[in-house]
Amino acid sequence: MTLELSGLSKSFNGQTAVDHIDLNVPTGSMYGFLGGNGAGKTTTFRMILGLLQPSEGHITYNGEKIDYNVTNQIGYLPEERGLHPKLKVDEQIRYLGQLKGMSKQEVDKRLDEWLERFEVPENRTKRIEKLSKGNQQKIQLIASIIHDPKLIILDEPFSGLDPVNVEILKNAVKELNSRGATIIFSTHRMEHVEELCESMCILNKGRQVVSGRIDEIRKDFGQKEIIIEGDHDISFLKDMPGVIDMKQIRNRYILKIEDESYAESIFNEIVKLGYFKRFQVNEPSINDIFISKVGYGI
Amino acid sequence: MSKFLATFLQTYSSKIRAKSFIISTLIIVLVIFVGANFDKIIDFFDSSEEVTAVKVEGDEAFYSQFKGTMDALDSGISVEPYEGDLGSAEVHLSIEETAPLAVTLHSDNEIPSEQVNKIETALGQVQRSNTIMALNLSEEEAQRLNATPDISYDIASESGSADDGGSAPGDTPEVNPLNAVVFYVTVIVMFFIIINYASQIGTEVAMEKTSRVIEMIVSSVPPVTHLLAKISAMILVSLTQLFIFLLAIVAAVWIFDFGSIIGDLGLEANEQTATLIVYSGIYLVLGLVLYLSLSAMLGSFISRMEDLQQALLPVTMLALGGFYIAIFNIWGEADNMLVKVSSFFPLFTPFVMPLRAMNAETSQMTLLIGVVILIVSIALAVILAASIYRNSVLSTSGGIFKNLKRIRKE
Ligand SMILES: Nc1ncnc2c1ncn2[C@@H]1O[C@H](COP(=O)(O)OP(=O)(O)OP(=O)(O)O)[C@@H](O)[C@H]1O
Ligand SMILES: [Mg+2]
Repeated sequence: MTLELSGLSKSFNGQTAVDHIDLNVPTGSMYGFLGGNGAGKTTTFRMILGLLQPSEGHITYNGEKIDYNVTNQIGYLPEERGLHPKLKVDEQIRYLGQLKGMSKQEVDKRLDEWLERFEVPENRTKRIEKLSKGNQQKIQLIASIIHDPKLIILDEPFSGLDPVNVEILKNAVKELNSRGATIIFSTHRMEHVEELCESMCILNKGRQVVSGRIDEIRKDFGQKEIIIEGDHDISFLKDMPGVIDMKQIRNRYILKIEDESYAESIFNEIVKLGYFKRFQVNEPSINDIFISKVGYGI
Repeated sequence: MSKFLATFLQTYSSKIRAKSFIISTLIIVLVIFVGANFDKIIDFFDSSEEVTAVKVEGDEAFYSQFKGTMDALDSGISVEPYEGDLGSAEVHLSIEETAPLAVTLHSDNEIPSEQVNKIETALGQVQRSNTIMALNLSEEEAQRLNATPDISYDIASESGSADDGGSAPGDTPEVNPLNAVVFYVTVIVMFFIIINYASQIGTEVAMEKTSRVIEMIVSSVPPVTHLLAKISAMILVSLTQLFIFLLAIVAAVWIFDFGSIIGDLGLEANEQTATLIVYSGIYLVLGLVLYLSLSAMLGSFISRMEDLQQALLPVTMLALGGFYIAIFNIWGEADNMLVKVSSFFPLFTPFVMPLRAMNAETSQMTLLIGVVILIVSIALAVILAASIYRNSVLSTSGGIFKNLKRIRKE
């Protein structure tokens, strides 16, 4: 019971946008797509939804091809936001809900609940063109999840929102996930993946760089981060074996080491100097993984 | 509810409740009601009063001559000598000169133009016979002066109808006035409905595309279903409007006794009238479907609303072309080459075929071929529109030709 992409490729006029992606999104998981601009995230989503025909490879959901028979179970928030400007919020949601097979009454009931949650109940009968961009985005998110889909695909759901609204949205996404929905979203923000997802993939120029469960990715990655805080000068550590990188922010040092086995010798080295407030070995951040795999940060 | 129905009902109800629909419908209904009361309105503004008597002042001889001529003209106006007073329905004619004739006509009210004509004719006749007398022409000479030329017609006509005698020979076929009215109404209504609804569906499709909501829609419903639902809804909206107009006409006939006006104008059905009405109805609906499908497709090409008018230009121009061909050939030689050829060009067919349906010589076969041509073109247009709709609504590159090129490549 998963969403599976195998050997998925897409090229536009001979230019490859997505290059042989193999993925497995387990049911009920929260899956993050990371990648810079033009990495191929949106193209991949559009292929999953059948909006674009793959040049190669195939996609299955619960073992079957995705077509218009299963779209009622799928919710999609496109990257390019926009609703019909001349319609009122409730008219638009009602229409989009009906396209997902809901009745008017069901839509109205859920719409009230969601508007309440997103703290915009007063917008119900406003024309969409009269709403601010962020508020339009909330309405569009409601439209994409109002039918309680089993698979939710959100293309950069948090972009363009203020921090308060990002929080509200994150909580909504978490709750949908805890109620059993499989959620896939793309983002440029590592911390969102870090906070929300148990699985992820990183795309770079159409290629899939890593994918899988985040804890396993971290383990396989090997590199660790050590944070040392104290009043002694320890810059000599950067020449120790296993140390890849070292940064200093006032009296705090952040070291990257090839794997955890090097941590002990470093520890032994600094205790000779005396007291340190802090010596902490951390899991690698997704940012580190991204930078080391892709070659640059975003 | 099926997805087709969801789109269909949403489009229909939002268009029916749109201000533009309500206002344009009300205006036309008002025009129909005003038109039905046309005669009363003219009466209302017409302050002229029927003249019952002309009171003549001056020359006795002229008086009796004028009276004789007026009576011969059977004008319903009596001629009396002027005695210093003038009733409300009387005019005063004073003679200033007799050779040449110079008179002054005085009236307190406007005189209906018909009656002015009568008086002028009578005065002209008096003047002429006076001149003839003054010239001392013989009886025969006078007759020769008044003789009308003797013209006999020998005009080679294709149909040879000139030899039938009876009706006035000429190159224009006789057009039954009622058929002409039906034809004009059909073609004008068709033109305005096509222009109006073609631009509405173009706007609707383009709005969905440029606002990007289309991506959510086509991820829920197949683009073809969506497009067909939109076109069908739009057709139903236009038919609803036509139906309201029809109701208004029926109501106007019923309330204002419009039928008697039609009778007064001497409009009578002939054997072509039924054919014309049936085919006009069919061509109206088919033409609408064809033009709406094309406009929907053109609307899906653009990426900015500003380009819409430009994208719809071909549709507007073609509709205008068909409209002109139809309107300008009604009084001309029936079924000339232009009419014949253009009636088989799908985009002109809906306009030009009703013109041919008016002509008794056009066979049922021809008219049916027109229907088939339209149905086939509609099928082609819908298939074409549907096949490129999915690609064109998701593309953001501008320009119709760029789009067509790109779509053909994929
Ligand atoms: N319709 C299209 N025609 C041609 N090329 C396209 C089209 N859509 C996408 N591409 C190309 O495919 C590549 C991947 O684009 P895509 O939109 O999937 O990236 P993305 O990961 O979503 O980027 P972003 O973070 O900027 O949204 C880009 O190089 C883009 O130029
Ligand atoms: Mg994208």
